[in-house]
Amino acid sequence: MTARKILLISLLVMITLAACATPTAEAPKATVAPTTAPAAPATSAPTAVAATPAPAPKTKITFWYALSGAQGKVIEDMVTKYNQTSKTAQVEVIFQGSYADIAQKLTAAITAKTVPDVAQMGGAPTLGESGAIVPVADLVSDADKKDIFDGFWDYNKFNGKVVSMPFNNSTPMLYYNKDLFIAAGLDPNKPPTNWDELVTAAKALTKDTNGDGKPDQWGFNTHTDTHWYLSAMIMQNGGKILSDDGKKVIYNSPEGIEALQFWGDLVTKNKVMPPNQHAQAGADFTAGKLGMLMRSSTFLATVEKDAKFKVGVAILPGKKIKSVPIGGASLLVFKTTAERQKAAWEFVQWMTNADNSLDLFIQTNYVPIRKSVAGLPAVKDFIAKSPNSEVLIKQLEFASAIPIFFELGNSDEQLRKAVEKVELGSGTAKDALDVAASVINKALGGP
Amino acid sequence: MILPFVWMISTSFKSQSEVFAYPPQWIPTEFHWQNYVQAWNAAPFPRYFFNSVVVALAVTFGDLFTSALAAYAFARMKFPGRDAIFLIYLSSLMIPHQMTILPSFLLLKNLGDLWAPLGLDTYFALIAPFLASAFGVFLLRQSFMQIPNELEDAAILDGCGRARFLWEIVIPLSRPALATLALFTFMGNWNSYLWPLIVTNSDTLRTVQIGLRYFIGQEGASQWGLLMAAAVFVSLPVVLIYLIVQRQFVQGIASTGIKQ
Repeated sequence: MTARKILLISLLVMITLAACATPTAEAPKATVAPTTAPAAPATSAPTAVAATPAPAPKTKITFWYALSGAQGKVIEDMVTKYNQTSKTAQVEVIFQGSYADIAQKLTAAITAKTVPDVAQMGGAPTLGESGAIVPVADLVSDADKKDIFDGFWDYNKFNGKVVSMPFNNSTPMLYYNKDLFIAAGLDPNKPPTNWDELVTAAKALTKDTNGDGKPDQWGFNTHTDTHWYLSAMIMQNGGKILSDDGKKVIYNSPEGIEALQFWGDLVTKNKVMPPNQHAQAGADFTAGKLGMLMRSSTFLATVEKDAKFKVGVAILPGKKIKSVPIGGASLLVFKTTAERQKAAWEFVQWMTNADNSLDLFIQTNYVPIRKSVAGLPAVKDFIAKSPNSEVLIKQLEFASAIPIFFELGNSDEQLRKAVEKVELGSGTAKDALDVAASVINKALGGP
Repeated sequence: MILPFVWMISTSFKSQSEVFAYPPQWIPTEFHWQNYVQAWNAAPFPRYFFNSVVVALAVTFGDLFTSALAAYAFARMKFPGRDAIFLIYLSSLMIPHQMTILPSFLLLKNLGDLWAPLGLDTYFALIAPFLASAFGVFLLRQSFMQIPNELEDAAILDGCGRARFLWEIVIPLSRPALATLALFTFMGNWNSYLWPLIVTNSDTLRTVQIGLRYFIGQEGASQWGLLMAAAVFVSLPVVLIYLIVQRQFVQGIASTGIKQ
């Protein structure tokens, strides 16, 4: 009984401590609730004497975002900076979980009419039909239209019209271990640029170091989002994911099947990729056991810090063309009042201007969306410090968009299943893609 | 079975690069105590803890109260349609959680338009939807049905009313079932992430699970050491409650179905 009493008392103590801690916890922390942070005193208590006329009240707008950890902090710091420099608007920034969580929150908010003014969302164009957003095409200036790469505009289109603003985007890249390249007799400054060179390099990099008949060092692997890399390969081969009228998926075209066949051959014929071990790929690469890895550009900062070898990064190898699909999220402006919409758009413009785009790139490795960023002086300093990041900028002319449609999530899942089938040898490339396409096309309401 | 916990505690002391080291390292080479400090400071955890505790305790007591009353009615009172109503109650368990999120959300929004303390972004929104549960009624009904009728007859002969019978005889005899329900309800509510995220916007109302979300990065930038450290101190209260009720809990599992 005494042990239970002790436990009960400790629970009560815990509650009391937590309760006592709350008055101090209410004190604004710089990371959250910036409405109570430095910006507020600037408006309510100007350092000048009260006799001066009070400044016009700032329009208050809310901004929901879905990045966590260090990246979330970068967003919050950007908003704090905006609140300090803007004379017309005050932004309240609220963390809303992951891309999946914020999508649910926005759906609920649209139905209940409790939408924010600005929100960050992955797959933003799916809200294009909701009637709750102001299409960015109606707001954006011609200068911006030309400055932002076409691939990013395509990524934000719904039914052919741009509805959201590109913000934090990433692309898949080919990471490679320069030390392993040298050991295999390959030139570390000439990574593969097309599919054939990829196979040659991967074969040289696949080694059985302890003589047990099984490779301990693999030449090539990808991260778990295999649908992204497969989609890239399909597009590099001249195929398409979605038909032009947006009504059905067409990745089971001959070009698509060729791409998936190439993928499967990497495992079964060329034996340079372990079957279905994508979750381990990043760790293997960092540990020096994998020659080449396809993964998002956001992995660059982590791997450069943790790897004990020289990391190289290259644009994805092409086939008929070079094609680098975009991922990541965009900013949406919601229909509220004319005044708040104006403030919201100004905020969005600021968040995506060239300086902030570069700042975001330097701090998070999300790629810059503007052509003008490459010309900024700060870029040269950054590239001098981190040479691999130059590749992230160079590849943007090949950036393409996999069109966003309602069944995209399911479609990606089907593509991952197709990849798994082909890697494990339980189906041919044609069958796997035919099955995937038929499932999605049925869901899209067609043949 | 204890392995995940050992891994969690072990990882909470590791640096980011050691987390995925292969072969897996059970004992970190360096103990990064600052993971705990950093994790604690990354989000307003004192407030989150307070909210989680208040909401989980309120829901647990509320659920025990309503479930006990309903279970007593279903187990020991006869009224027309009793079994049919109970079946309908039970069938509500088959409705997926996702289907009730939007209607509940809309209901709270409309209530809030009528009177703010009942709307979104309030403690009411976090607590009210869970004050009754069909699972609790089912569990307690089974337990209450075990009480022999002779006891009830004897009590009535002695002039005991229904309420007193429930409070002084049935409930003390059903401690294992009550403890089980309390533990499940507390744990379920403590772990609840989606509902608090959807109905709250203010940081002053959010719960510890949302705090954990801060460490899980998009596209693979998660800070695993910090996440594990936060997970360790977030799971402590649940472990504490389990230790308090464990004797009753084990009895509860062992005695269901056994006639006295």
